[in-house]
Amino acid sequence: MKKNIDRRIAAVVIATGVSSVVTQLLVIREFLSQFNGNEFIVALILFNWLFIGALGTFIASFAGSKANPRRLALASIGLAILSPLELIGIRLLRDIFFIYGSSVGFYQTFAFSFLTIFPYSLLLGFVLPYSLIVARNLIPGFSGTRVYIIDNIGDVLGGVLFSFILVFTVTPLQAICIANLMLVAASWWLASPGSRPVSLFKIGAISALMVMAAGVWFEKATLKPPGMELAFYKESKYGRIAIIKDNDQHSLYLDGKPVFSSQNDDLAEETIHYPLAQLNQANHILLFSAEGGAMSEIEKYQPLTVDYIEIDSVVSDALFRFGFVNPIHGLAAIHQDGRAYLARSEKIYDAIVMNLPEPDTFQINRFYTDRFFSLAKNHLFPGGIFSFSIEGFDNYPTDAQMVKISSLYHTARKIFRHVLLLPGQRIFFLCCDHPLNPDIPRLLDEKNIHARYIKGSYYGNLSNEKIRYLNELIQSDVPVNSDYSPHLIRLMFTEWFKKFSTSPGGLMGALALTLLIYLARISRVEFLLFSTGFMIMGSEILVVFVFQICFGYIYQQIGTIVTVFLAGLFPGAILGEAIRKRGRQVLLLTDAALIVLILVLISALLFGGDQLTPGFIVVFGFAVSLACGCQFPVALHLRGGGKKAMIDVFSADLMGAAFGILAVSVILIPYLGIIWSAFCLIGLKITSLMIMQTSHEIAF
Amino acid sequence: MRSLSRREILVSGALALAACPFAADAFCSMNGLAGFKKSSEDITGRIFKNDAPKILWKWSREAYSYQQLPGEAVVCGICPHGCTLEKGDRSICRSKVNVNGKLYSLSYGNPCSVNVDPIEKKPLFHFHPKTTSFSIAAAGCNFRCLNCQNWQISQFKPEELKTYDLFPEAVIRKVKEANAASIAYTYSEAITYFEYMMDTARLAKEKGIYNLWISNGYINPEPLLDLCKVIDAANINLKSFSDATYRTLNGGTLDPVLNTFKTMHQQGVHFELTTLVVPGYVDDPKKFSAMCDWILSNIGPDHPMHLLRFFPNYKLDRLPPTPVDTLTAFRKLAMKKGIRYVYVGNVAKRDPLRVCRQRGRP
Repeated sequence: MKKNIDRRIAAVVIATGVSSVVTQLLVIREFLSQFNGNEFIVALILFNWLFIGALGTFIASFAGSKANPRRLALASIGLAILSPLELIGIRLLRDIFFIYGSSVGFYQTFAFSFLTIFPYSLLLGFVLPYSLIVARNLIPGFSGTRVYIIDNIGDVLGGVLFSFILVFTVTPLQAICIANLMLVAASWWLASPGSRPVSLFKIGAISALMVMAAGVWFEKATLKPPGMELAFYKESKYGRIAIIKDNDQHSLYLDGKPVFSSQNDDLAEETIHYPLAQLNQANHILLFSAEGGAMSEIEKYQPLTVDYIEIDSVVSDALFRFGFVNPIHGLAAIHQDGRAYLARSEKIYDAIVMNLPEPDTFQINRFYTDRFFSLAKNHLFPGGIFSFSIEGFDNYPTDAQMVKISSLYHTARKIFRHVLLLPGQRIFFLCCDHPLNPDIPRLLDEKNIHARYIKGSYYGNLSNEKIRYLNELIQSDVPVNSDYSPHLIRLMFTEWFKKFSTSPGGLMGALALTLLIYLARISRVEFLLFSTGFMIMGSEILVVFVFQICFGYIYQQIGTIVTVFLAGLFPGAILGEAIRKRGRQVLLLTDAALIVLILVLISALLFGGDQLTPGFIVVFGFAVSLACGCQFPVALHLRGGGKKAMIDVFSADLMGAAFGILAVSVILIPYLGIIWSAFCLIGLKITSLMIMQTSHEIAF
Repeated sequence: MRSLSRREILVSGALALAACPFAADAFCSMNGLAGFKKSSEDITGRIFKNDAPKILWKWSREAYSYQQLPGEAVVCGICPHGCTLEKGDRSICRSKVNVNGKLYSLSYGNPCSVNVDPIEKKPLFHFHPKTTSFSIAAAGCNFRCLNCQNWQISQFKPEELKTYDLFPEAVIRKVKEANAASIAYTYSEAITYFEYMMDTARLAKEKGIYNLWISNGYINPEPLLDLCKVIDAANINLKSFSDATYRTLNGGTLDPVLNTFKTMHQQGVHFELTTLVVPGYVDDPKKFSAMCDWILSNIGPDHPMHLLRFFPNYKLDRLPPTPVDTLTAFRKLAMKKGIRYVYVGNVAKRDPLRVCRQRGRP
């Protein structure tokens, strides 16, 4: 019987792991769609998730002898109900709390995510230690490490299930439904040891199934904007793609933001003709993403080949289907990360026209760095042109905008001999090794190319004074934007706060205070686990960014990295359990190993550069998580292995992970760059090592 | 139930403390849970308490329209917000402060943006076409429009921006140097630098230079009557014909703007109307029809109307651009109702939408 209960509890813990990871990934995707789609939002959500989880773990410490399998089953059913409700709540409450169509600032997003995530994450944080308490009430001496290992198995399964199956096959609420059906089944099994489940549980289980079914049924209705038609909707592995029809206009939405409109011919003219008008011949053109109407403008140059890169095939299919992109002679659609494509391709072009969003995210920032500009130049014929654009200003550039323009100018000038800025609807950067001519209408006339908007508006909108004014704004003492020191991300962060008249000071102060209070009360071993949680999340973020910089955004491989970082914990914990009696020695050794691993990463980045292989990154991630996983059972053993010890070490791990993701994403990488962020992680681990090394206490 | 240990109380306190700033921020920004609905429906700005500079600078001038209250408080008389400022407070528009019981403008003679634009850009199509206008703007605005094109200047305080030293006499010199026919008080909201605008406009009028007022029209009748004596033409935004939309998207109210149109019509000032057709807010044909009816019955059919295409901007960046069909349908509707000059703006397909019927020019 006890063996059987043991298995039933294990099934619930595994199913909880699956449900929690699938829910977490879907919640992050939902926030990226409903709010600002940058990495800071991901960091905020993960911070809230882990922080509230730590709170739930703390609450579990009050559970005592009354903890039993039925209550655990009921709590798990609660998770199955809250999971779809959380996702639906984020969608529906957004337009109730905030103005329809408007973006939301940092603090409001933080508050909204805290409130909407709170019920699920609190219960989730509670369930894991509670399951251990239940197991120990029935089987005294039940190992806490075992729960940790089983939970990791569930997490890995959840990550694999979502990243490699669900994201390709089902919608978010269908995915939630599938992930939580397992939890309902496992809970049912747990709640009925030899008899029928109790009524309250039955009601809960039926409610969970009904909520899940309702979510699936009404899913599309929750995505339709009021007064407009949802002409197309699909979730791809990269995000949410929707086509909204309003009268005769179609607009493509990516993650909740309108990106292209079918009636923006004027912007298409500017994007295409400003660079192509400079060329004597435009036979081979590479286009990174396409504004509606762009192909018709390109066709006027009668090119031999047009390579059109769109990382997401769902996006390009939608663009073709709804007429944003017309199939023209020589057009080839390439579904790859642009940077990865250029790194592997040997093709040379007359023009590379980049039509990407603002460099507001690390993901996009990779296309606005000196290394990428150099890569682009290597794929241009002599005299070929590279162009890109950023958001402009009507009458007054803010300080951050001026620095952004200056930084991009200097970055481009580092690679190209001539860089011309044109203040159109956006600010266009034309980069070439030959002199550039700002008189676009005259250049078009010479080529007998007709462009209605440019012909009618250029001389009025782009007067010589305006072009001169824009080019005079460039400041000389601004650093270039590089992969490992993303200057533009820092500016974006500043600008974001400015737009909402807020400052990150309040948040930083509150977090620092919380951290100080927390650190003041924890033991040395807990500090070690806190630093390990910090380290694993921090290094995972670093590795994901490095991977994207080196190899481009390749979804499956990013999923592999995340999975590898989880997968190492499991064998690490088994190893730790086997050698736990060596106690402090193991902790010191694994801490030292983590420091060495980060040093290896830094050396590889500094000296390996473009020679880094995906295999190195995978091995690195696995080794880091192996060392981190090894520490948990040892720390638990040193703390005596009791209920309180279990909760304290769980909390320390979660708190460390919460602060790690926020500090590395929001502060360290934007302000210090990737290399110095890695050194900071080393600094933290050296502190942990010193604290453990100088400790001579028996109890930790 | 066992009691909490001192350590657990400390931990709980720390966690609660950490949650406080977020909860407080959420509460403040939503006025508490009970008020969140109201908050999301009204974005009217608020007074900045104790935000006035300690010492006035050279670009400060005592305001022309305000009332002193007992206890050194003042009430600004320029716009319908009627900010009541305690000593040391700053107005909603960010450019008026109460220093020692007197109301001062902080942006007299220090515009943050100076350009020479074609008059059509204002847009003014029926007033001295093909001339240029010396355009100036100082920091601040009494509205909080979510789609503001000039938020970089309208939503900041004068001392936060880089400014020019350009007192009224200097403006006149610059206008002559630029050979411009007019001065446009534009970009941000000229009502907030009323004193600077009035003095410059008086001087310009004496020198035969036209004065153009580009505004949201959110002004009290008394200062408006003073203004009508010195301005020659205006373009006033009629942002929507719904008070609720004014509150939600702009942080103002409709009636004062309608009164501005009536007053200017009565005073015989040339003005044109501009409406930005925001999808989901201002694109309801019934409301637009009601707007046209109001125009025809209160100010007549001869004031040109500009219907502008919305593009995602500033904080209102999750809506699509206005479909061109919506604009052309509105234009047809307005003209069918009897408004004589209706133009569609921010659209690449220019002809025949922007051709002036009377003068046959774009």
